Amino acid sequence: MAGDSYASGLVVPDYALLIILLPMLAFPVILLLGRLFNGQDWWKGTMKEGGLLALPVMAASLVCSLMLIAKFIGQTTVSDTSTVLNWVNFGWHDAATGSIQAMSLDFGFYVDHTTIMLLFVASFLCLLINIFSIGYMNTDPINDNRNHRFYAEFVLFCSGMLGMVLSDSFLWLFIFWELMGLCSYLLIGFYYERPSAAYAAKKAFLTTRVGDVFLVIGLAMLWNLFQPYAAGQDALSYAVVFDGGHLQSIADAGKSGALQLAMGFMFIGAVGKSAQFPLHVWLPDAMEGPTPVSALIHAATMVNAGLYLVARMFPIFAAEAMHGAFTDLAFIIALVGGITACMAALIAFVQMDLKKVLAYSTMSQLAYIFTGLGAALFLANALDWHDPSYAGYDKNKTIVIVAFGAALFHLFNHAMAKGMLFMASGSVIHEMHHAHHDVHHHDHHDEEDDHGHDDHHDDFDAQSMANMGGLASRLPITATAMLVGSASIIGLPLIGGFWSKEGIIANTWRVAVDHDPRFLLPAFLVLITAGMTGFYMSRMWFMTFAGKPKSEVAAHVHEHTPWVPIPLLVLIPMSLGGIVFASMKVTKYLGYNGKQLDMNLIDGFLYEMDHVFVNPGAGYLLVLTYIAILLSLVVGPTVAMALHGGALDEGQKAKPWIQPFINLSERVNARRHFDNSGLADSTLATALEERLYFDAWYDAACEKLVAGFSVLAATFDRSVVDGTIKGIESGSQSTSSSVRRLTTGSARDYIMMAALGTLLIAVILWGVA
Amino acid sequence: MSSLLRVEPFSAGFFGYFAAETVLALGLVLMIVVPNLGRGTFRVPGTQVRVPWFFGGERYALTGRPDLPGYISVLTLLTALVLLINDLLNTWDHTTQEVLVHAVGDDSVRILAATPFSRLMEALFIGALFLVALASNDRYRSTPAREVRSLSALYNNRRQADLHILLLTCALGMTTVALAENLFVLFVGLELAGFSSYILVAFNKESKFGSEGGMKYFMVGSASSGVGLYGLSLLYLWAGTLQVDALALAWSNIGQEILPYVALGLMLVGFGFKVSAAPFHFAAPDAYAGASSPFAGLLATASKAMGMVGLFRILLVITLPEGTEGSAVWLVLLGVLAAITMTWGNLAALGSKNPKRMLAYSSVAHAGYMMAALTAVGVWNLGEASLDGAAEAASEAVLTALLFHLVVLVAFKMGAFLVIGLLEQEGEVKDDRTLSGLSKRSPLLAVVMFVFMLSLAGVPPLSGFLSKLLVIMGIVKVAAVDVAGSGASVSVFGLDLHWVWSLALLMVLNSAISVYYYLRIGVVMFFDAPAVGRDRPVPRTVFTAIAIAICLTGTVGFGVWGDPLIEVCRDAAEALLR
Repeated sequence: MAGDSYASGLVVPDYALLIILLPMLAFPVILLLGRLFNGQDWWKGTMKEGGLLALPVMAASLVCSLMLIAKFIGQTTVSDTSTVLNWVNFGWHDAATGSIQAMSLDFGFYVDHTTIMLLFVASFLCLLINIFSIGYMNTDPINDNRNHRFYAEFVLFCSGMLGMVLSDSFLWLFIFWELMGLCSYLLIGFYYERPSAAYAAKKAFLTTRVGDVFLVIGLAMLWNLFQPYAAGQDALSYAVVFDGGHLQSIADAGKSGALQLAMGFMFIGAVGKSAQFPLHVWLPDAMEGPTPVSALIHAATMVNAGLYLVARMFPIFAAEAMHGAFTDLAFIIALVGGITACMAALIAFVQMDLKKVLAYSTMSQLAYIFTGLGAALFLANALDWHDPSYAGYDKNKTIVIVAFGAALFHLFNHAMAKGMLFMASGSVIHEMHHAHHDVHHHDHHDEEDDHGHDDHHDDFDAQSMANMGGLASRLPITATAMLVGSASIIGLPLIGGFWSKEGIIANTWRVAVDHDPRFLLPAFLVLITAGMTGFYMSRMWFMTFAGKPKSEVAAHVHEHTPWVPIPLLVLIPMSLGGIVFASMKVTKYLGYNGKQLDMNLIDGFLYEMDHVFVNPGAGYLLVLTYIAILLSLVVGPTVAMALHGGALDEGQKAKPWIQPFINLSERVNARRHFDNSGLADSTLATALEERLYFDAWYDAACEKLVAGFSVLAATFDRSVVDGTIKGIESGSQSTSSSVRRLTTGSARDYIMMAALGTLLIAVILWGVA
Repeated sequence: MSSLLRVEPFSAGFFGYFAAETVLALGLVLMIVVPNLGRGTFRVPGTQVRVPWFFGGERYALTGRPDLPGYISVLTLLTALVLLINDLLNTWDHTTQEVLVHAVGDDSVRILAATPFSRLMEALFIGALFLVALASNDRYRSTPAREVRSLSALYNNRRQADLHILLLTCALGMTTVALAENLFVLFVGLELAGFSSYILVAFNKESKFGSEGGMKYFMVGSASSGVGLYGLSLLYLWAGTLQVDALALAWSNIGQEILPYVALGLMLVGFGFKVSAAPFHFAAPDAYAGASSPFAGLLATASKAMGMVGLFRILLVITLPEGTEGSAVWLVLLGVLAAITMTWGNLAALGSKNPKRMLAYSSVAHAGYMMAALTAVGVWNLGEASLDGAAEAASEAVLTALLFHLVVLVAFKMGAFLVIGLLEQEGEVKDDRTLSGLSKRSPLLAVVMFVFMLSLAGVPPLSGFLSKLLVIMGIVKVAAVDVAGSGASVSVFGLDLHWVWSLALLMVLNSAISVYYYLRIGVVMFFDAPAVGRDRPVPRTVFTAIAIAICLTGTVGFGVWGDPLIEVCRDAAEALLR
């Protein structure tokens, strides 16, 4: 890939700035209006405490995004970084030349296919979340009179995500990245009066902080590497970093190792943000935020930031100058992905909390994408696909493109499916809550106590799947959405997730078999994870929707909250339509800037079917495909059905497209039912319930190492730092009073001082002249 | 770029080119005439016949209104400001029409000149005065509002007319200073504005500190002016002219003479008082505390800028090194004064409990920062070819930063004084208890005041940060120009820097000190309980609110989007150094 393709002359239209600016400006407006009109009827009723203020803003943001996407979707080149904001100009002293160099930090846009995809994902999902929240947040009395805070933080979060996607420099990416980090902290800790929420917010913030420190180090190294070539530009801008000539110079100077190290540090930042092993501990706790909106943020949008950062490094890996230099880093990325995928899926086996299952599933699916990215980056770096005269040029190029595209396509599919799943789970929990409230109210009808809704905060857990069951007929839309989402995550053939997941598994194996045997480990891990995904996703669905209600509350659930089903209905076709996207050869589109979407759907469909199921080329890939399908579609769900399947209550009938699944589960359950209590009591299960003791280990490590250091630091801070500051302060204060004593208040003295000043001037001038 | 047009005073095009001043003069005439219109009659001598001549006597209802002079003054200043901003937009396009006014029949005798620099300074002065006029409209109606019901009892339109006449004469004096090409003209303008401001300080008759502060300010001011005038006369004695370009020419051929140096030193005393440089600043805190707040704001912004214009003319136009000289002769002197001034101001502000005195001392500190920037301009001989443009660019950058600082200072310093002005409605502001608990009384006002404080302290992204950053960067840039062989360099971290670098360091240290007392205002406003008797919301006042909103817009706006203004300042700096 030639370097100059990263700077064509296409100009991003001005309205693109609105995408970021509108939500950012809405933030103070909502906050301020919320403060001013808090509790007033029109604010709560008409404005939904800011929800209906955020909605048009997010809608406008989406419209602008779509316009931008429409403008670029037909293009085969990258848009140029067009400067929209000249932020800071400054000079710095260049030790090499001994002169002052001018330096400017500009904000501009960088739009390529990755940007377009993520821009759509982010703005689309943010709007849907907004709609969902209006239904979810405003009907829960616990949120009363503080929803404006939620909406304000939400729009700020959205502007952070959109800004990160659109910005044209790693520096701005980092700034928006941190903005999101802040909002995520605020949103997780939305119920800050609960110690668990405050703890979770702190934990998420501190864990990602570990990654961010490395990210900053990586960025500093990157800046140092590219600064000589920046020529007064921001040395972290993509235009500078992706330039083939600059990369060639760095390779010639023998600094490609340093570049790999820099990107490695940046990858650690991504690991923290995307909750990968070993910085994954914060994500399950993040579910403490307002159900399930914060969860959605931490599943469908923000965690993609880490993936986006790694995907952004693709041009560096793909540069001809760096041929073969970064294979180690690519392997590490794939390995971290593989380990996390398997580990998270294992932990998801035993979770009883609906949202936690989804949280671990998120972790596992993100890890898939990391593995896919690792494989793609390896291929881009190791294969010879730069020189068209080389015999295998076309084949190699296709391989690289498809590998990279598959990883990004999985990001898209996962975001859509997981967004839907989380909103559906929110719907389940919300309706459970309502039902519980009704049931409870009914029981204590006579006791008119004044506790209001305090008394339904007893030990009933509306999120536990142990209390659900048989909801398929009671929550038809939610059950459908859950079903489609789970199918997409599992990889039901022809649905969205199937195409991308097959692509990731196949490409990881391709690297392992054809190029680097080290990849066998991640390749094997992602393959068995496919089966495990099949199990835990089916387990979740059957436990929630099939069988008899496991609690009295579950029998009284109805789907009646307004606004909530809208996003579900919108998202169902997004996941089902995976086949359409696949037929457009979207993997190739996403993988390479030179491709266009293929609108010849029939041909595309036939091509894809042929390619996946009949694969005439590599035989082992075909075998692999069928193994993956077998594992994820047959083995996993069968075990889940055997454990948790079952018919609905008498007289309850689910929708016709759901009923067959229930019937199937009932049959499997009846025939293959086995007792897993032995397994459930095993050490492994206990270890999984304790999340493989990671939290305990980290706590212990913190206590042993960090806490001691903290005490030391605190002492140092109190005695030395504060002591110095206080010393300076009291010193300044006493100097101040003696200086002010000279201001006597008598004009005579003032003139006298002026005369002394004149004398001083005379003396100094005498000395000089 | 720009073309130079030569006109004679009061010739055909003159009033067009100096439209703003013309408007000011017309406004002044209106201000004198209109409030005096009434049912007055004139007795024809020797008869009993009385002829009505509409002047004096019982005033008409309209012309007798106490708020009329305020409206006239606001409109006049606004018109002038709009005209000047129009000129500045030309500067931005680099299409300024430069106008030179010379003596009748002799175009070598320069009197006034309109350049991008003088236009910018004029706009600054008029802008500040506009804010003051706007805010005084409220002030003189609302001050007695609590105790006296009738407006005319204490504040008839005569007194209002006096006040606004003073404001307009002040405006005329200041614009004259900005335009002057001759030091004598400059001095006349300086005194015109100076005398107006002495009276404006003492105008706060309700407070005994008002007349006291005005008196002290006048005494110290006239002493300094006297010394400055003496320096001016020595300069005339030496060169035979006070025309700026002729003096600059004479200075470049200076021999072993003592007279011009003495003149320079004495003039520095005169202008040092105007910019409130230590140790000539002593009257300033008393004057600021005594004057009613809008006028204190005027002293801290426009008046100080006026002194700076004088310093620019003398230090940058006349005595900047030329020929074979290295640095300016006043380099060490000004550096020492700057260091003393900023440190003294900050230290004194640190312990001041009275917010007005605190702001006065902070304005002394800001004068120190400005003088430090001015010092940096004098480091290099810009005419010397060996410096190869680098020194010129650096000097221009620091001067640009200085001008930018002067302009944005109007926004946040004036804003802070205007907020205090609002509080003065409830009685004198003597200590920070007047501010305590402001956030509980008028939250928006507290936030706005805090923004001004942050900007004064130099917190991004406010304009105070940008200006301070630009000044510090400019000084460092000047100091880092390759100084091989100049012998004036010190080694810092292995870099050869001119010693002027230490002024930037001192600025940073001083800023650190200053953060303490600026943030303390925030602490007082947000965390203390309101004082007894000051617990109701601050009365709402329309005009002051508008003025504060303008200040806030400037404070935030120029901070995040300073480029256009920086561009204008750069042109002004270029025009000045040319």
